[in-house]
Amino acid sequence: MLLARVEGNVVATRKHPSYEGWRLVICQPIGTTGEAEGSPQIAIDAYGAGMHQQVIISSDGLASRKAVGDDKSPVRWMVTAVVDESEPGKRI
Amino acid sequence: MKLGTVIGRVTLSKSVDSLKGGRFLVVSPFSREQFERGLDAAASFGTDPSLVVYDNLGGGVRQVIGYEEGREAAQPFAQPTPVDAINAALVDEIFYSPFK
Repeated sequence: MLLARVEGNVVATRKHPSYEGWRLVICQPIGTTGEAEGSPQIAIDAYGAGMHQQVIISSDGLASRKAVGDDKSPVRWMVTAVVDESEPGKRI
Repeated sequence: MKLGTVIGRVTLSKSVDSLKGGRFLVVSPFSREQFERGLDAAASFGTDPSLVVYDNLGGGVRQVIGYEEGREAAQPFAQPTPVDAINAALVDEIFYSPFK
């Protein structure tokens, strides 16, 4: 799993049907001190993670397939948790 | 899912049977800077090496797509297929604001 920060979202109408209705959130993996590491990952999100909020994203495809309810879906990354923060960048 | 710019296409002459009739795009992965420039900027290359992505959504050159990598890329196929990157979305819009 990766600690990441939400930095936006993606809109795509033509996509694999299993993504229908899911938010595609741009998550930038970050280090513990908050600096960006690597290129952003797009994950499906069910928790409504807001802009610049820190989240945990997981690459467990099995759990993501169960979440979207389609065993033939190529979905992989999913937001599994939202980190406790008083404000963006300040963890409690 | 990662975003990438389609920079070309590949057609196979000899291949594993399960890849016959497949459509393949050459994709250059987005780097952080390209997210900021957005979709209508001139097509540019990221820092990561390009890769070949299986496509059944009809991605065209200079289009930005979202592709999935790893074991999950072969999940949509009925029979086992040696594919580890598949086009999962044609991106219409990107809303991006990096945290300063």
